[in-house]
Amino acid sequence: MPPLDATQLPDLPAPFWFIQFFKVLGFLLHMVPMNLWYAGVPLAVVLYAFGGEPARRWSARLMLQMPILVAAGINLGIVPLLFLQVAYAKAFYPATILMAWFWLAVIGLLIPAYYGVYVYGSGMRNGAGAMTPLRRAAGWCSAAMFLAIGFIFANAMSLTTNPATWPELLDRHGVAGAATGTALNVADASLWPRWMLMLGLALLTTAAWTALDTVWLAAGEGDAYRRWAQRWALRLALAGAVWSTVTGAWYLFGTWRPAVYQEMLSFPAVVLTLLTAASCWAPAALLWVARQKDLAWPIAGGTAAAQFGVLTLNAISRQIVQNIELREVFRPGVSAQPTSPDWGPMALFLVVFVAGVGVLAWLFAQLAKASPPASLEAPSEPPAA
Amino acid sequence: MHYPWWYVPVITAPMLIAAVSIVHVLVSHYAVGGGLFLAVETAHAYRTKDREYLAYLKGHTKFFLWLTVVFGAITGVGIWWTIGLASPLATEVLIRTFVFGWATEYVFFVLEITAAFIFLYYWGRLPEKTHVAVGWIYAAAAWISLVLITGITAFMLHPGAWLNPATRSFWTGFFNPQFLPQTVARTGGALLLSSLYVYLHAAVTLRDQRLRDLIAARSARPALLGAVLILVGGAGWYSFMPESAKAALNAAAVLNVLAALIFVLTAVVFVLLYLGPYRNPGWLSPGFAGALVLFGVAAFSTGEFIREAVRKPYVVYNVVLSNQILPNEVAELRARGYLEGARPEGRSWTNAYIARHYPQVMDPANPLRIDEKKLLDLPRADQIKIGEVLFQYHCNDCHAVHFGYSPVAMMLHGRTEEMHLEMIENLDRAPFFMPPWAGTREEAKVLAAYLASISPPRPAGMAPQ
Repeated sequence: MPPLDATQLPDLPAPFWFIQFFKVLGFLLHMVPMNLWYAGVPLAVVLYAFGGEPARRWSARLMLQMPILVAAGINLGIVPLLFLQVAYAKAFYPATILMAWFWLAVIGLLIPAYYGVYVYGSGMRNGAGAMTPLRRAAGWCSAAMFLAIGFIFANAMSLTTNPATWPELLDRHGVAGAATGTALNVADASLWPRWMLMLGLALLTTAAWTALDTVWLAAGEGDAYRRWAQRWALRLALAGAVWSTVTGAWYLFGTWRPAVYQEMLSFPAVVLTLLTAASCWAPAALLWVARQKDLAWPIAGGTAAAQFGVLTLNAISRQIVQNIELREVFRPGVSAQPTSPDWGPMALFLVVFVAGVGVLAWLFAQLAKASPPASLEAPSEPPAA
Repeated sequence: MHYPWWYVPVITAPMLIAAVSIVHVLVSHYAVGGGLFLAVETAHAYRTKDREYLAYLKGHTKFFLWLTVVFGAITGVGIWWTIGLASPLATEVLIRTFVFGWATEYVFFVLEITAAFIFLYYWGRLPEKTHVAVGWIYAAAAWISLVLITGITAFMLHPGAWLNPATRSFWTGFFNPQFLPQTVARTGGALLLSSLYVYLHAAVTLRDQRLRDLIAARSARPALLGAVLILVGGAGWYSFMPESAKAALNAAAVLNVLAALIFVLTAVVFVLLYLGPYRNPGWLSPGFAGALVLFGVAAFSTGEFIREAVRKPYVVYNVVLSNQILPNEVAELRARGYLEGARPEGRSWTNAYIARHYPQVMDPANPLRIDEKKLLDLPRADQIKIGEVLFQYHCNDCHAVHFGYSPVAMMLHGRTEEMHLEMIENLDRAPFFMPPWAGTREEAKVLAAYLASISPPRPAGMAPQ
């Protein structure tokens, strides 16, 4: 039995459904930009180094947007992290404490990874010869760091739902009963497919971004680029679908505990499970159907919406699975924690939230009225071999 | 023992919170004050049609974004990381109490980031009034996020009426006695620190003497105002501190030296600002600006250290003790045992650890419970090891072992085991800013055995022997 203790904590300040909703919504919104840096940055640096002209255009387009995408991803990641700690602290804190140095390393990696994106992008912005070896190295380092951050997160989240391993990890990575913070959850069979499944989703999201960017923001690019981007989006979507299917099957059939298996493959949850599994093919299907024609808004928008649906189903499924896995920690269940809703502050938050959305809408409306930008410069030629 | 303790040698885990927080504060106050600077000065530059100044401001915005949106934002997130690792119980209490305060702050944070990106990336593409409005949206959102987080951090020093169950609410917790003084002080800090950064940036990057003089003159008044607000807010902070915090500030030599230092440093900065940029804008050389920044950073860092230190023995005053137990658990822990934990249901981390490694001390009638009396039946070597467990969970939050941050071994030169035992059982009586001993007599004895094992002898050469 994992060590846990009841304490005299304040109750949950909101109904559990409220906390759960914002946790899942926040994670869903976070996944969109996070997927783009997770798969997009490594793809961009590889294509820029080894690809032809359209590939390097694609890299430049993505990497010049990346600073905003990283900012968005970090911002949106705060939401699920906050609500995770409100209701799931009893499982989340022990897991992260056991791997404290690795968990803390996320911050140490994220700062240079983010700066690296700016540095690499500056090599694409400033004309021929601007992609210096240092800037190129910054891009490669950022790619590696983002992948490492994803690995650490997969460790933290899988360890959170694996309390049976905590005592042994504490003994192996501890001093006098205190954690040294050097543990990882690599012995957990679910870690690897979980980490790789997120990569599959990231490929799909990058495909959807490619489609959307091509019809929306890349209007000034030539036909050759747009045709290449359309084919590239399809390839990414197919690769992402295959990868997600394989790793998802590995995760489901190879690592799910009996309680999870039983519940997620019984009615009504089995409907969600099947939809989640099958949905990863939707973006590729749409792009396949349109492959013979020029990519247009309906298909690009449909692909993006389909991928948003894929991420939504994954986020909901993950949450249900997490709650099942944590029944041992939160008896009889995480939703059974006592609540004392704090309606006043909740109302304040909701009012401010709505007002904030209004201000954001005004800000974006100003962008629509802004004068056009100077065109993106052609990516600098790679130095001669 | 509600959560596993993270052992960080030499510096202790909570000092990582301090390291990340201080770095974040030095940037985040620039994020607030600098936003105001950019909004005001961009409006001024548009109004006076000063193209050179606009060009400088655009360059400054790029630097500002690089520093605040990347480093500032991520170190802010880093504080979340470290408090969950080093102070999980306090974090859990704060989150459950103030989740909607943080959620509200988050909305303003999103507005900040969005406005900041638009302000830079749409420079020259928006009508001037719109561009300035975007700057003001950033500045307002940044200051409001400062206000919201200050209410929560101020609560940690003085929860005020929240402590009374009859008046406990989010609002009484947020609008605590320290809220207004700390908000005033931090607003002043934002104005002052950002002005110092602006001076340094201008001094280093600008060759145009006219612009340097312009910036020096125009930022002098906000900087001076900031210094005054810091002093006013600081006085209010002292006046509205809990009595024990005032006593700690006055009693601990390092704290009263640092307190004097922070007021002296702020006064020095005030004088240098007045004599320099305010009266003689031409003095704004890189060296002068650099010195100002160093003084300002030193004052800030000192202030943050003091603010944290005077809370001892609490992380949240009268709510969570620094060793991650609740004050109202102490009596129960003294009866049941610190290793055991406070509640009959569930198991603490220390209980589970003892059960795995020393099953012989578990109660045969109730195998999940420690029989405290059996601790003293163990061989001395095992008693010392259990004493070390107690040290980790009860003491390591504030004390390293042999060297580093407040190393306990260095404080125990030449003491006997009996003296250790008496100290442990009277822990919060001398000095008062120590947490109360929260264990049984048997646990006190094994902890005393551990302390005896790490205590060096009395230093040689001292008279009288």
